[in-house]
Amino acid sequence: MRKKLLVGLFALFCVVVAHAQTTVSGKVTDAANGAPLGGVTVKAKGTAVTALTGADGAYSIKVTSSVKTLVFSYVGYSEVEAPVRGTNVDVALNSSVSNLSEVIVTGFGGAQIKREVTGNIARVKGKDIEYMPTPSVDAALQGKAAGVFVNSQSGKLGQAVTVRVRGNSSISASSQPLYVLDGIPMTSNSQSSYGGATNPLVDLNPNDIESIEVLKDASAGAIFGSRAANGVVLITTKRGRAGKTQVTFNYQTGAAEATKRLKMLNSEEYATLILEGAKYRDDLDGTPLNDPDSWTTYVKDGVMDYYSYGNWSKDPKKSYDWQDAVFQKAPYRQADLQIRGGTDKTKFFSSFQHLEQTGTMIGNELKRTTGRLSIDQKVNDWMDMGVSLSLSRTYNRRLPDDNAFSNPLQAIALMPMTPFTDPNTGLPAGAPPGDVNIPLYYNPVLSVNYAKYTQDVYRTFGNAYIKAYLAKGLTFQTEFGMDYLSQNEEGYFQTQTVRNQTRASRGLGTNRGAFVTNYNTQSYFNYSTVVNKHNISATLGTQYQQSQAKYNFTEGTAFPSDSYQKIASAATISSGSSSQTDFRFLSYFLRTNYTFDEKYIVAASARIDQSSRFGKNSRSGFFPAISAGWIMSNEKFLQDNKFISFLKMRASYGIVGNAEIGNFPQLGLFSGDAGYAGAAGQRPSQLRNDNLKWETTKQFDIGFDFGFLNNRITGEIDYYVKNTEGLLLNVNIPATTGFNSQVRNVGKLQNKGFEFVLNTQNLVGAFKWNTSFNIARNIGKVTDIAGQIIEGGISSMNRVQEGYAVGVFYTPQYAGVDPANGNALFYLNTKNPDGSLNKGTTSNYNLAQRIVAGDPNPDYILGITNSFSYKGFDASIFFNGVLGNENNIYGMGRYSSASMLYEDNNTADQLRRWQKPGDITDIPQVRLYRVNGSQASSRYIVDGSYIRLRTVSLGYTFNAKQLSKFKIERLRVYVSAQNLLTFTNYTYWDPEVNADSFDSNIAKGNDFYTSPQPRTILFGVNVGF
Amino acid sequence: MKILINNMSNYFKAALLLGTITLVGCEKRLDIAPTASIADNLALNTEGDVLVTLVGAYDGAQSAAAYGGDIMVLNDVIGNSTNINFTGTFAGLSDAYQTQMVSDNNFARDTWAACYNTINRCNNVLTAVAKVTSSTAKKNSVEGEALMLRASMYFELVRLFAKFVGDGDYATNPGVPLVLTPTGNVTDANYPARATVKAVYDQVIADLTKAETLLPSSNGNYVSKWAAAAQLSRVYLMVKDYANARDAANRVITGSGKSLAANFGSNWFTFINNAGATPGEYLFSLKVTAQDGTNSQNTYFGRAIGSIPGTAGRSDCKIRLNHINEYENGDFRKGYFTLSGGNYYTNKHLDRFGDVAIIRLAEMFLTRAECNQRLNTTVGATPLADINRIRARVGLGSLASVTLADITKERSLELAFEGHYLIEAKRLQTAVGTLAWNDPKLVLPIPRRETDVNKNLVQNAGY
Repeated sequence: MRKKLLVGLFALFCVVVAHAQTTVSGKVTDAANGAPLGGVTVKAKGTAVTALTGADGAYSIKVTSSVKTLVFSYVGYSEVEAPVRGTNVDVALNSSVSNLSEVIVTGFGGAQIKREVTGNIARVKGKDIEYMPTPSVDAALQGKAAGVFVNSQSGKLGQAVTVRVRGNSSISASSQPLYVLDGIPMTSNSQSSYGGATNPLVDLNPNDIESIEVLKDASAGAIFGSRAANGVVLITTKRGRAGKTQVTFNYQTGAAEATKRLKMLNSEEYATLILEGAKYRDDLDGTPLNDPDSWTTYVKDGVMDYYSYGNWSKDPKKSYDWQDAVFQKAPYRQADLQIRGGTDKTKFFSSFQHLEQTGTMIGNELKRTTGRLSIDQKVNDWMDMGVSLSLSRTYNRRLPDDNAFSNPLQAIALMPMTPFTDPNTGLPAGAPPGDVNIPLYYNPVLSVNYAKYTQDVYRTFGNAYIKAYLAKGLTFQTEFGMDYLSQNEEGYFQTQTVRNQTRASRGLGTNRGAFVTNYNTQSYFNYSTVVNKHNISATLGTQYQQSQAKYNFTEGTAFPSDSYQKIASAATISSGSSSQTDFRFLSYFLRTNYTFDEKYIVAASARIDQSSRFGKNSRSGFFPAISAGWIMSNEKFLQDNKFISFLKMRASYGIVGNAEIGNFPQLGLFSGDAGYAGAAGQRPSQLRNDNLKWETTKQFDIGFDFGFLNNRITGEIDYYVKNTEGLLLNVNIPATTGFNSQVRNVGKLQNKGFEFVLNTQNLVGAFKWNTSFNIARNIGKVTDIAGQIIEGGISSMNRVQEGYAVGVFYTPQYAGVDPANGNALFYLNTKNPDGSLNKGTTSNYNLAQRIVAGDPNPDYILGITNSFSYKGFDASIFFNGVLGNENNIYGMGRYSSASMLYEDNNTADQLRRWQKPGDITDIPQVRLYRVNGSQASSRYIVDGSYIRLRTVSLGYTFNAKQLSKFKIERLRVYVSAQNLLTFTNYTYWDPEVNADSFDSNIAKGNDFYTSPQPRTILFGVNVGF
Repeated sequence: MKILINNMSNYFKAALLLGTITLVGCEKRLDIAPTASIADNLALNTEGDVLVTLVGAYDGAQSAAAYGGDIMVLNDVIGNSTNINFTGTFAGLSDAYQTQMVSDNNFARDTWAACYNTINRCNNVLTAVAKVTSSTAKKNSVEGEALMLRASMYFELVRLFAKFVGDGDYATNPGVPLVLTPTGNVTDANYPARATVKAVYDQVIADLTKAETLLPSSNGNYVSKWAAAAQLSRVYLMVKDYANARDAANRVITGSGKSLAANFGSNWFTFINNAGATPGEYLFSLKVTAQDGTNSQNTYFGRAIGSIPGTAGRSDCKIRLNHINEYENGDFRKGYFTLSGGNYYTNKHLDRFGDVAIIRLAEMFLTRAECNQRLNTTVGATPLADINRIRARVGLGSLASVTLADITKERSLELAFEGHYLIEAKRLQTAVGTLAWNDPKLVLPIPRRETDVNKNLVQNAGY
């Protein structure tokens, strides 16, 4: 049946057009420097006839006598329409600012001029993110594309980044977009087994990227079917260009520091508070303060003197800020070499990069070396072929997850009288042979000095294609791609770390391998033709992807000494395992576009997806979409309008899915991991669901694209509504069943919002000033979760609650401190008979009802870039903003902003505590080891909005004439800074936060001793030959 | 038509064909099976399947939130400011110590879930026990072990999550839900209400009684007849059926062939000193090895002592001098504490591995003595003889006579920090700190997660 379809379609599109022909030729140059431009597309307007310029910029095109105009288009340059007068047409192209003429990649060989696109696709040029000191491309998207929310989560290097396209459209399944690199759906989920999740996109050199297209609406995404609901990020790497071989070398170096330090109590302040708390307890028990069993004696001798090596009573003023011990100035350096060129027949691109980045927290380091080679070869007049291959090695010295005593930032919990160094041994506090029970908690510095956990990732992206020109306008392309990820993680924990890593009493070594082989093959026909005013194009094809992940793990203990760090020397192999998991997709897709008279556009697409992840009763899914556009500025009534140079209205509707539901969620399972005392055992581990399928998202989008004043002002406005149903929920079931949850398609949620993009050329001429601005508002709302209680995050405070966005903070409402007795108070928030909430207060926490006290999802996200150039100088200032979200600081607050409940050091604001009747304050009385206000509550839900000066750069490009005697074509020196300023009310380190220990779709906005983003300042030089 | 296909080489035609073939014939490739787990319909079909599922039940019981130690730790920590300074930062446990628990206390939640998870594993074994066909003895043993583990879980649940026997009418007080069949599909039947305390105890007694008859006298790493009898003795003691408690204890003492270790200290440090061999005095214990299992008594009571390699722990439970002063001078147990960093820690839980002890023989002597004393009988031995036997082992002289108070005090010292503090207070109706024995704050909350998801559950008073 499908073969017949193919043949039918093939025949349908083979239309013959005949006319008298003439040949037009000429040369295309760069208006800036007169250099020839190779690879420029020359199109006879109103027909499908195209030609390309050669390396010398020359072209020749056969056109019919009816053709009056040639259209010259080239990536990164403004499109030019030149009238045909005679047989020679030479043009000079200006590099583009307006993006209406950009070519937008739509997947499976599809490409459209921006002005004719009817879906919503955000494009980020590789040039806009090059040489940014962020190792992964997703982090670099922050603030660059409207409606794409990026949270870098922490300052740890190479770790996972949260990306949400038009809100969070899932609860249990992944909400990250699908990343497609040169046609291959990438392996983008973390393969790490230690610390927080890592980011496999780090293995891709962002400077290899030509462009990034984010497919946001259903009509753009439907061709990716069951995997498009979270948006699709198409990454296209650079390819060769006909023309002079260009060599570019870039080197940048600098250093980073943490963006913020926190103000903690010093020794005297600490002593004041803890003694106050001890006295409270002794008074309560009726114990004299000097009794040997009293809390006061305990605090003086057993706490402050003990943990200061007896020094506190001698020198109570001596104080240490433990942040000094764990933050560091972090060097950064990066070298890039790119060589790009080719002839009419053979084009190539190659690149090399070496990057060394040090974390702003001690013990964190990332090094990456990548190489890439792409070759495109014209085999003969009807066939092209090409390959590209990228190899990389990423080395990451990891930090443990945030919720580990060895997380360096947990050092702020240590008391300020504890010195960094044990005075008896000269070694870091807590290192044997000194007392290992000092400091209060494990000293994380020990894990930096005496332990190491490294991750080495060897990554290969390979892609080969053959493209055949079967008939006029008809091509067939078949591609084979692979993404091979080979990862080794190696850890060794010396005996000094035993307090943290109890198994390390005689050394602990671990070694883990992860091997993910991900193959993708796709074949498709593309057809396009122009018949009079009818412009038709179509794509029909199939795709098959299979991914297999294999893991192995070995752990050994009892090493002869810490000089032996490989498991070969371990006396006991204490643990070992291997495992494997698979998924496969088989898909068919069709896309058609029809344009009439360059005014009316209709596009439709559909995909059928089958996957090993779906239950046996719902194996196959169908995902259709339709869209239409009307270019009003081509209508007579606007054609001669001086103000409006471009105006298009477009609308789309379609159905896409989310299949990122893990592997085998539909099966009832037993697992063989329930051994006991050396005997093998099994346990029921998962409940069956034969009907399980993808989540379905129906999305409507309406938008306008506009250009005013000869396109000096361009922009887009979009409004969308995304309704997701059949949400995969880990539906809570009574634990009395022996299970906590079952995966079912039950819930519904909605995201709706608007996006606004504005690009302006404020000043043209010698002094150029361009602004590009984007802002997006998304309103997420869970509409139905079938009565489930879904919670996550720190103390289960994040919650999925009908009527609210996913993951709102649900907790009792703090009412401050009772001036009479220092008790923490909470609002009752019980329902009154009239439905209103009882705002009476109580000191009994159990009586306080929970309310929605905040939302980790931002109301608005925005980015604004101003770029300036004057003669050789260029400058760029980029702010991004995230507004209207709350963060949860309870993870730290319950210990460190808790009226000295425990022996942890506290934030300086706790000095405001209640001390005597009549005191008006928001910090309750100090009561050592008696909970008073440190329960989970709105007290710890704080504003997380920020506006950040994300990057600022200043460069100078030397005059080309001066350089030519050095055989240098281009020389630019620059200084750039990242995260230079942050405007926020946030009380802890960094509002852009998401603790890795708790991260899930639901659990966002949590801070748990999470390291802040680095503030990086770089100097660079860019040389072109 | 100007078609270029005619110009194509055969090579390219082959490639085109290949590309087209991928359009069809791939669908079978979508049927792949997981490798780390197996489908449920393949899991419980043979005797071997039943045996490994039973091992899984032990694994469940051994989880940290159950008999891996949390059950005992909760019973020692809740309200126990008399004997312990709890300085840990695990909020759930800290709140338990302060008797300031909230309904989403994570220790309550996790212990509840771990017990019911184990119960489901036992129920899977019990429904498939007919597949054990190699011998009747084997089948009996498998059934007895599953009944013993299930009964133990219910016994712990009902003691922690419900009003104690003697507090109101236990025939009407809500206990915990009784689930006696394995979970397949989730239906309305999977949303049970709480059975009464008495119904739970009746089930526990029936299961343990049956287990005692089915189990072999000796069973390697697994539970034996004597473990079931010892647990049954405990259960009867809770419901104040002193005659049955006494008789079960006596059966264990006379039948098990076990005797008190000459050296009290040899009952611990078993991994550090004895390669993890189970001490002879243990009647019911679960193994922890370097590869598998957690000893959470070690987690909270333990501490890394520099001079004793292999020790570990969070140093959360610092033993108060109050407690140490309770022992007579010369009592070996008085010295069974380690002073470190200015605080005392019990030696019972310093070892990271080894068995987690649940019942050891000494308790049976103490139970027999108490019951004989209460009933004015001398089954097996006089109360005085049993108490003097316990005293002699720790280097104390014989008493001339004993009172019930002497016996219960001896019990509290002998079994200190082995998970009895709260239970003993409730059983003997003595105060817990400033709270009465039946104060609602001393009962764990039904986990909020459970009351949220199962509307048939009634929350305990005070939450």
